[in-house]
Amino acid sequence: MRWLILYTRSRQVPTSAAAVALVALAAWVCNRDGGQGSTNPVTAALVLTAMVAAASVGLDGRDATLERTAAIRWLPRRAAHVLLIGALTGAALLAAQAAGATLAPTEVVLRDGAGLAGLAALGAVLCGAHLAWTLPTGWYAFAVVARLPDNTVGQVAGWMICPPGTAPSTDTALALLVTGTVLYAAAGARR
Amino acid sequence: MNVRLLRIELRRSVAPWPGAVVLGGSLAVLFLVHGIWWEGTAGWTAQWTTMALWTRYLLGFWWSLVVGMGAVYGLRDSRSRMAELLTTTPLPAWHRAALPAGATALALASGFGLLVLVGGVEVALGATGYLPLGWLPISLVGALALVATAVFGMGVARALPSVLTPPALTVLFLLLTSLLQQSSDGVLPSSVVPNRLALLSPVTAEPREMLLTLSGSVDLGQTIWLLGLLGTGFALLSAVNRRARLLAVVPVLVGAALALLVLPAAPRDTYVVDRAAAALVCDGPVCVTQADRSRLPELALRSKEALRVLHDALGAQAPNSVREDTQLRALSDERRLSAGVLLVDFDDRLFADATGEQLTRALVAAGIAPSCFANNAREGGGQGYVAVQSIATSWALHDPRLRSLEGVSDDPYLSDVWAEAGVAWQRLLAMPPAAQRAQIAEVHATAVSCEGTGVGSGTDELSVLAGKVSR
Repeated sequence: MRWLILYTRSRQVPTSAAAVALVALAAWVCNRDGGQGSTNPVTAALVLTAMVAAASVGLDGRDATLERTAAIRWLPRRAAHVLLIGALTGAALLAAQAAGATLAPTEVVLRDGAGLAGLAALGAVLCGAHLAWTLPTGWYAFAVVARLPDNTVGQVAGWMICPPGTAPSTDTALALLVTGTVLYAAAGARR
Repeated sequence: MNVRLLRIELRRSVAPWPGAVVLGGSLAVLFLVHGIWWEGTAGWTAQWTTMALWTRYLLGFWWSLVVGMGAVYGLRDSRSRMAELLTTTPLPAWHRAALPAGATALALASGFGLLVLVGGVEVALGATGYLPLGWLPISLVGALALVATAVFGMGVARALPSVLTPPALTVLFLLLTSLLQQSSDGVLPSSVVPNRLALLSPVTAEPREMLLTLSGSVDLGQTIWLLGLLGTGFALLSAVNRRARLLAVVPVLVGAALALLVLPAAPRDTYVVDRAAAALVCDGPVCVTQADRSRLPELALRSKEALRVLHDALGAQAPNSVREDTQLRALSDERRLSAGVLLVDFDDRLFADATGEQLTRALVAAGIAPSCFANNAREGGGQGYVAVQSIATSWALHDPRLRSLEGVSDDPYLSDVWAEAGVAWQRLLAMPPAAQRAQIAEVHATAVSCEGTGVGSGTDELSVLAGKVSR
């Protein structure tokens, strides 16, 4: 337990969690309609992107060199960290929906949460934890602005704003989750 | 001395990255995705103004990402935990702030400038022979927007040195961009928020009508607002105490207040028709706009032939002049047609790349049976109607068999329409010549008046031609 508290503190979890809660609250306030409104994958993707971006700043400790000397197995801990980011951000959005906001079907929330968490982990591996947010936000902006065509390429490139049940989009999200988690678990954030 | 410092800063910091990302990312999106920006007369390489507006449209993602990248750069001192040490340098604070701000500005202005240069070369090598200067302010405001937001991000990161600042700024700007985004589906681009507020975002609506450009008051208002943002960013970057940080908010507030006074309140004064581009150039009865001047010689040549064919086919009802269609229409709205004038819409699939004999056929089709609904890359209103137009054209040009005006589509609905068209063609040819002329005249009259419900789909006229309905 003591280890867990210290670990969460070293990963800036209190700050990130506060930011995630703030985004969930804002999403709830802006989309509060008692579950009657229409769903919008774009808004849901933006909310999840914001949450994942806030959570991703903790994908690295304060001193990577010092951490390397610790005699613990990093691989399962790092993998769990990525999966928890995806699970908790998705849960925060679902909680906002349960409280009466309408954003997106559960399937879209799960898909986007998983894919974005993987993308953030990939960002941490490629650019470092303090720049991990660039990949999720960049891809979101690209998907929204680029007016993608409605074929397989468009469904892969715009995976996070496609309607539920789009097979290529779900596959892309899963591929991103697996790639990001595996690479981050094996290599850790870039220093 | 300063140039040397700037060069070192550019070589050893992350300053060049935003510029490189803006240039590389925009070119990747524009050239790798075959999007709507390649289509029609308002494509990004079709005219100078549309090129400038498309690069401004791309700010939709760049100005939110650039504010984050600026913030990352602004966090440099605090990330390496030497902000305190640097305050002891015997240099005025603004002097120390000027170097990274200048490096960012230079990188972003060059990146965006090179993007516009690529677009400019494409336009210059393209078909248009019309070179206005009104596109320059549009692009300059775009470059200023990127520089101002990046410096603003740097300043905010200096004032709030947290690792969460860059993603928070980016998400906030993404949200603002989508709230203030203008949609070009209406007759004129408009947004859900009041027009003045929407114009605080430098992101323009997606260009759809070639002749529209931004009015001067928009450029001026946005420049004032962005200079305010730049001022606040720079003041925050060079602020050393709390009082200076509070005072730093003044420029952006003053800029916003002044800009709201200058910016137009109505969409009508935001996007205006470029009068110089819309002026008509004529060759006999054939007129096109200045912007499409390069199409005139071919069009005039083919129109002469087409008008003769139309006169044979329709007699006194035939149009006697050809004009480019310059009406502003909302998406999927009806076109306004008139009997005496043959309207040519260069966005229409029939006219898009038509040359030679194909252009003559397209002109004859638009003369006998003009489509009330546009059939182009954005709207598919008149797709079924092409069958009626093909019958009329083949009849007027005395083709031995029905020739389609466009390639065969595998759409099941359209293949039904074409099967029906084959029957109608046989029925038409089986009639005595006088009855044939009467049928075609009826098709012409119905088309020009845009009567009936199924006009856009063409099924009504096909039934008339096939003799199913007796009128």
